[in-house]
Amino acid sequence: MKKLKNIDHTLLSLLAMYAVVLIAMAILNPKTYYSVLNLKAMIYVFPAFGIIAYGMMLCMISGGIDLSLVGIANLTGVVAAYILVHMGGKEAGTGAIVIAVVAALVVGALCGIFNGFMIGFLKIPAMLVTLCGLQLYTGLAMIITTGPGITGLPQSYIEIANGGIGNIPFVLPIFIIVTIVVAFILNSTTYGQKVYFLGSNEQASKYSGINNLKVTITTYMISGIFGAISGILTSSHYGSGKSNYNTSYTLLSLLIVVLGGIHPDGGKGKVAGVTISIILLQLISSAFNVMRIDTVITDMVYGIILIIALVVPIVTAKISARK
Amino acid sequence: MKQNNKMKEILTSNQMIIVYIIVALSCAIGMKNPAFADFSTIITLSRALLVTLIFAICEMVVIISGGIDVSFPAVACAALYIPVVVMKEHDMNSALLAFVMAAGIGLIVGIINGFLIAVLKLPPLIATLGVSSIVSGMVLTFFGTNEISRMPKAIKGLGEVFLFTYTNKNDITYSMTVFIIVPIVLCIAVHLILKYTMLGRGIYAIGGDKNAARIAGFNVVRLQFIVYIFSGVFAGIAGMIYCILCSSANPLNLMGSEMMVIAAVVIGGTRITGGHGGVIGTVLGVVLIALIQNNLIMLGVPAYWQTFVVGAVIIVGTAITSLKAKAIANSPKV
Repeated sequence: MKKLKNIDHTLLSLLAMYAVVLIAMAILNPKTYYSVLNLKAMIYVFPAFGIIAYGMMLCMISGGIDLSLVGIANLTGVVAAYILVHMGGKEAGTGAIVIAVVAALVVGALCGIFNGFMIGFLKIPAMLVTLCGLQLYTGLAMIITTGPGITGLPQSYIEIANGGIGNIPFVLPIFIIVTIVVAFILNSTTYGQKVYFLGSNEQASKYSGINNLKVTITTYMISGIFGAISGILTSSHYGSGKSNYNTSYTLLSLLIVVLGGIHPDGGKGKVAGVTISIILLQLISSAFNVMRIDTVITDMVYGIILIIALVVPIVTAKISARK
Repeated sequence: MKQNNKMKEILTSNQMIIVYIIVALSCAIGMKNPAFADFSTIITLSRALLVTLIFAICEMVVIISGGIDVSFPAVACAALYIPVVVMKEHDMNSALLAFVMAAGIGLIVGIINGFLIAVLKLPPLIATLGVSSIVSGMVLTFFGTNEISRMPKAIKGLGEVFLFTYTNKNDITYSMTVFIIVPIVLCIAVHLILKYTMLGRGIYAIGGDKNAARIAGFNVVRLQFIVYIFSGVFAGIAGMIYCILCSSANPLNLMGSEMMVIAAVVIGGTRITGGHGGVIGTVLGVVLIALIQNNLIMLGVPAYWQTFVVGAVIIVGTAITSLKAKAIANSPKV
């Protein structure tokens, strides 16, 4: 009994929500929902926003927030597409793809470093910097594309997000690797501990000898690189680079992170919670898809879940304090 | 000497820097395109920035109080769409009713925001983001997504009430809409309230330091409620005005405008962390953003540069403010 109590509350409630969704779908439409086709469709989609959610998680643990991730993703996707089109288009070889991917990752890292510098050095609130960043990076992507998407990408690049070996898509191992890397960084490196310190008390971390500026810049750089990975997957998935793909992912990643038990004020949260909530959100959105419910309603439901996820712990804390 | 210093302070203040930029930009546009240097520009520009200005004043008050509200585009969309749909369905025809409904919708959302932020102490950005998606989702789900271009007569009529008209050399008539009065009155009222009443000083106080404000005797929860309700109600009214000016109701038109409005407020010298800011700066910020949005094309800058330029302007603006604050913090204390 004692052991059961020790399990994280957020994890328990997340697992309960899993059960609700899975049972509901088993009753409503098990044939489509529990098919290999639907499972595959789910796996193809969630890494793109899951990886963005990890970036958001890192920044939020450090006490900030990164609203520019979708902008970074689109900018890097456009950069990759631009390079590919100018290095042979549909006939571009493996070398060109490697260059495009590396360039995208570098651009993502640079965007992140810019964010981190503005936040850590100039002391501008993270929210404002990254909101401007979203504008800046989307604007840059728009300047490069001049509006319409860049198409004509080589088939092997498109395969990254759409292909797979047998029934296992390539994106699944990519997502798993990113998850392991994030978990390793946060749990087993000194940098990871510093991120938690910084998030729980900036002043204390400064006076205990942590270079806050360096930690902040590194955090946003990693977040930017995650944005770039997501951008590569997105541009590969759609077969084009464009400045306004996936604009709903900002809200979605915030929702995932908060649902996964990351405290909005920073310093608290675990990777496991976020991973579980990424998959939960995919299960929900897939359930909506199967039931043919409009995407408009999905957004509304996300908003409601976000508010409930925030309100419930506060109310329960108040009730237990009264006892 | 002292007067000289004061002069220098005024000339290098945030607001004056924006004035310089506005003047320089206007001169550049005027040289490139002589049509800009005409009285009609003021009329078209004020029509373009009228709604943004109301949003910006609301947002400014919220930001001064230490919060942020990104739900106002959703509120405005709900407030312009729901009344028109309801009035068409029930065959009603009253502009007053439309405005009352719009303000009422804003009031409800404002109370929800206030409750989440003041009572439950949720982070304002995340709370209003969530509320925003709920509100816009509800409008689209329960009231439809179609643009309505056949407006009720009373509403349509209001769009053709003008303060004065102006005919330029080429015989094109420009008319100043009567709604320009709303932001002007709002600006003056908010300026006076913020500067000279206990309520205004309280808003600055809770933005500066909530605990200190509470100990000083301000009712923090009540003040936060007032701020978010004010923002909601005027966002609703602004939405209705927008609908009248466009003479069509589209539930998605204003979505995404929050960035520009926050940008305008921040450029105007309002500190995003709260406790600082004023109406004059915000007005200048709105004018600058409107100038960039509407007239950059006249300079020969392609339209797809707009997003980037606005982002760059805000980043540079905030960087300057922050560098100045840093310089003050590092300067020797007397």
